[in-house]
Amino acid sequence: MTTRSGWLLLTLYALLFFGFIYLPLLVIVGHSFNANPVNMMIWDGFTLDWYRRLLGLGERATAPNNRAVDVESTDQMISALKHSLTVALFKTTISTLIGTATAIALARYRFRARRAYNAFLMMPMMMPMMMPDIVPGIGLLIFFVTIGIKLSLVTIVIGHCTVLISYVFIVVQARIAGLDPALEEASADLGASEWVTLRKVLLPQLAPGILGGALLAFVISMDDLVITYIIAGTDSTTLPVFIFGMIRRGVKPEINAIATLIILASVLIAGLGLWLRS
Amino acid sequence: MTRSGRQNLVLGFLLAPVTLYLGVIFLGPLLIIAVFSILTPGLYGGVEWSFYHWNYGCLFGWADGIMEVFEPIYLMILGRSLLFAALTVLVCLALCYPVAFWVSRLPGRWRSFFLFLVTLPFFSSLIVRLYAWLLILKPSGLLNSAWLSVGVISEPLEILYTPAAVVLGMVYIMIPFMFLPLYASADTLDRSLVEASLDLGATRAQTFRKVIHPQTLPGILGGRMIVFTPAVCNFVVPDILGGAKGLMIGNLVEQQFLSARNWPFGSALSMVIMAVVLSVLVIFVSRGRRVADGGIA
Repeated sequence: MTTRSGWLLLTLYALLFFGFIYLPLLVIVGHSFNANPVNMMIWDGFTLDWYRRLLGLGERATAPNNRAVDVESTDQMISALKHSLTVALFKTTISTLIGTATAIALARYRFRARRAYNAFLMMPMMMPMMMPDIVPGIGLLIFFVTIGIKLSLVTIVIGHCTVLISYVFIVVQARIAGLDPALEEASADLGASEWVTLRKVLLPQLAPGILGGALLAFVISMDDLVITYIIAGTDSTTLPVFIFGMIRRGVKPEINAIATLIILASVLIAGLGLWLRS
Repeated sequence: MTRSGRQNLVLGFLLAPVTLYLGVIFLGPLLIIAVFSILTPGLYGGVEWSFYHWNYGCLFGWADGIMEVFEPIYLMILGRSLLFAALTVLVCLALCYPVAFWVSRLPGRWRSFFLFLVTLPFFSSLIVRLYAWLLILKPSGLLNSAWLSVGVISEPLEILYTPAAVVLGMVYIMIPFMFLPLYASADTLDRSLVEASLDLGATRAQTFRKVIHPQTLPGILGGRMIVFTPAVCNFVVPDILGGAKGLMIGNLVEQQFLSARNWPFGSALSMVIMAVVLSVLVIFVSRGRRVADGGIA
């Protein structure tokens, strides 16, 4: 900027912008400690009750009767969280394995279909740009139902991995591009077989990239709403879908607590990702 | 280059999973939707395998008047979705552009810090962020309470469940997708050109229009492309923040599949959306190519 006042104005605007971005998160975190769960503008005092109830150490131990319904939904929330974690673990493992394998194949081997594969792999990732994300979700729904596979956590894993494979692929591919092939050539020259070179030379170098890809896959899969919502069975809810349903049906106060915990977890993961990259 | 049999084996082993997986799980459903869009809806959901073009008829105007009726509302909802998406793109662009510019002008350490700061909120779950806006925009929420206490308004405003809330929600969700391309583009700005322009007597406005803006055009176009399609087809934001007045095409498709169980119609809707979105994308891409070829130095 040429003028000092121009720069100051721009800085002020930027700070307002950041305030705008962080406002919703701060609202939730603040509200999760509010003893008044209904109206967030009325501060009834600081409380950890909602967190206690979430973790199962709450008043329900003393007043079981009128808390019956609340207990139920809190339990459902915890089980939704467990489902989310289980599913995310499987999805991350599968997509990391397949994505890494593909990245290695495309980077270290030349074959005619290489360009085609590159485009093919970009497709699931370009998908949100090219078509509504409901479309693959619905296609998968029809696919599973037509074949006769019951909707469950398994279908969620199968369905969502497609996009995750592409994301892992991109991350690992970027990492491979920056590696020095001389090390692998040296290994081959010294008599190591293809497999040994892969295992002992390439993979260790690739490790940060693989970890980064896995982290990305984990985050995306924990947060997935659309595809999971469409192809989840009735008893295989994940956390985002559960919260979504709760917003539609009627909100329980514990939702603020779990939302805050989600925010906290995401900050930690973002920090982890940052640390990995340095 | 010739490969040994061993190498071929390894290659095959590495590629087989992804080929199988993406081929079946990714392409399969797309084909299914295309095919289903011309099938007959079954009585209790599902499909009957006979040709039925009236799914498209309901959308575009021809119908037998008995089982299927043409409802212009479907096209209206599609138009509304496109409008909302366009608004989202514009607002997002206007919001993010100055900040992207500002961050690109910061010294190294600060730059990384603020980049991280911009992307951090968006690591937390989508649903959490939308829920927060629900809290803020409620009649008893933050926004209304603040304005009421200051005295700007005398009654709570009905912001929630209006189109404004939907656009606001979508803009908020899309900020990182718009910001990052803009920033990447602003980062490549050649400051010597800016200085030269000012030295040669151009006003700041002229410099912006003719020097700065064209150089950031790739970022603008990239951001628009990334934001537009998800904005059109989004169904979560309208569902939570929109209510009946904010119904968008994504919600419609979801209803057809999950509530009305009319799969062929839902498939037809999806095909139409895809066609519209792809055409818009083609326009974007060709514009981008023109900019790259004939535009800036």
